[in-house]
Amino acid sequence: MPNYMLLLHEEPMDYSQFSPEQIQAVIGEYVAWRQKIEADGNYVGGEKLKDEGGRLIGSDNGQLRVTDGPYAEAKEVIGGYFTISAADYDEAVEISKGCPHLKFGGRIELREIEQLT
Amino acid sequence: MLSPGEIKVRDSIDHLFRRHAGQMVLVLSRIFGFEHLDVIEDAVQDALVAAMKKWPFTGIPANPRAWLIEAAKNRVVDNLRRSVKSDELLDEAATANGIDTLFFGSEMPDDELRMIFACCHPAIAPDSQVALTLKIVGGFSVSEIAPAFLSNDEAVAKMISRAKGRLRKRQVALEMPVADQLNARIDAVLKALYLLFNEGYIASAGDELVRKDLCFEAIRLCSILASHPVTRLPRVHALLALFLFLGARLSARTGLSGELLLLADQDRSSWDQEMIASGLQHFRLSASGTRLSEYHLEAEIAAIYTLSPDYSSTDWARILECYERLQQRKFSPVIELNRIIVLSKLSGPQSALEQLNKLELGRELTNYSLFYVTKSHFLTQLDRLDEARTALTTAVELTNNEPVRRFLIKKLCALNDGLFA
Repeated sequence: MPNYMLLLHEEPMDYSQFSPEQIQAVIGEYVAWRQKIEADGNYVGGEKLKDEGGRLIGSDNGQLRVTDGPYAEAKEVIGGYFTISAADYDEAVEISKGCPHLKFGGRIELREIEQLT
Repeated sequence: MLSPGEIKVRDSIDHLFRRHAGQMVLVLSRIFGFEHLDVIEDAVQDALVAAMKKWPFTGIPANPRAWLIEAAKNRVVDNLRRSVKSDELLDEAATANGIDTLFFGSEMPDDELRMIFACCHPAIAPDSQVALTLKIVGGFSVSEIAPAFLSNDEAVAKMISRAKGRLRKRQVALEMPVADQLNARIDAVLKALYLLFNEGYIASAGDELVRKDLCFEAIRLCSILASHPVTRLPRVHALLALFLFLGARLSARTGLSGELLLLADQDRSSWDQEMIASGLQHFRLSASGTRLSEYHLEAEIAAIYTLSPDYSSTDWARILECYERLQQRKFSPVIELNRIIVLSKLSGPQSALEQLNKLELGRELTNYSLFYVTKSHFLTQLDRLDEARTALTTAVELTNNEPVRRFLIKKLCALNDGLFA
C-alpha cells in the first residue's frame, strides 16, 4: 500500500484564552483519531514542527541566501505532518477527513509519497 | 498512557486538565511565592497550550502531569529571570529534582486549603471571592465563569484582576489563618462556596453542563474543608450535606429535551443514591457542638425533601418549621418565598397568596422570576386565570435561562388553552 503524507497547514493564532477544558478536548480528539487509524493499521508516523525558528534557504542570482522564517506571524505555516498508509487517494482522503485539524480551522495538504518500485 | 475514556471531557467528574491547571498553580505558588501569581498563571496556560500543540503528534507522555508541571516551571523561571534579578531561590527552584513528588497523590488538601483561604480573603468582595476561587483553585477559564455571573468575559477578567491586586496590596500569603481569626475566615469561605453552588444550582443563566460543574466544584472544595482536621467543623459538614442532597438531584432536574422538571415531576429513582448516602453521613457529622447554623437548617430541609418516598408525602410541617427558624435568624425575601410555597401545601392557596402579596410590597423580589411563577401558580389554583396569565408573562420576561423560559412558555400556553389546572 502506498504511503501518504498529511501536511497540516494552520494559521498561527492566540490560544491564551483557551480554557483547560477546551485544551483537553482538542487533545482528546487527536488522541481518538490517532488511536482509530492505528487500530485500522493506517498510521505510519507523525511529527510536530517547532513553532519558533526555521530558515528559508534559496538562491538569489546564483548566490545562496539564508533567511530566518517562516515567522509565527506568517499567514499560514506547516505545523506538523502525519504519514499514513492507504489503498488509494480515496481512502487517504476519507482518513484525512476525520483528522481533527480540519475541525479546528486548519487545512490539510494530502500527497502520495513516491516509492522506488 | 491515558485511555481516551480518561481524557473525555464534559462528564462532570473527569476534568483532568482543569484539575491539573489548579494544582499546577498551587505547587508553583508554593515554590516561587504567591506574589508571582500572574506569572505563574501565564506559565500554566503556556504549558497547557504547548501540550495541545505537541501531544497530537508525539502522543501523550507517560506522566502527563509531570510533563506539564515541568514545562510550566521552566516558563516561570525564564519569566522571572527576565523580570527579577536572578537569585539563589530561582536557581534552587529551577534545579529542584522530582518536582512531581510535591504532589501527594492526586490530592493536595493543605495547599488547596491555603489557596481557598487566600481567594476568600475578607479584603475581597464575596462575588470576587467566588470568581477568584474558580479561576485559581478550580482551573476554570474566564469564559466559563462569566455566564454564571450573568456577565461578560471582560468584566469577569477585570473583577479577577482587581481581586488579585487587592491580595498583592495586602501582601496576603498562602497560610492557614491564625487561631483567633479561623472561625470568621471559615465562615467567609463557606459563604463563598454557598454562592458558588448557587451560581450553578439556581437556574439563572448559562450552559447546563458548566453550571453543573460549578456545583461539583463547590462540593469538591467543601469536601476538602470537611476532611481537614483544622476545618472539619459541624457547620462545614452541614453545608456539604446540603450540597450533596441538592447535587444528587441535579441530573433529574432536566427532561429529555432539556426542559426544567420540578421536584414534583422528577423521577426519584434517578437521584444519585451515592451522593444521598454521603449527604446523610455528613448530616450526621454536622449534629455535634452547640452552634446551629443556617446551613444546618437548609441541610435539614434538603434532607426531608430527599428522603421522602414521593412528593405528596413530603413532611411539609417539618419543612415549614425549618423555614420559620431560618427566618428568625436572618430575614431573607427568597427564603420567605420558599416558606410561603411550603405554607400553601398546608393551608391552601388563599392564605399563601395573601402572604405573597405582603411580600410583594417589600419590592425586593420584583425582578425575581420565581416570585411570579409562584404567584401565577396560586392564582391558577384559585381559578383567577387572567391574573395568573399576567403574572406568568412577567416571569417569562424576567428569566434569562433557556430551559426555564421554555418551561414557563409551555405553562403559559397551557394556561391560555385552559388546559392548566
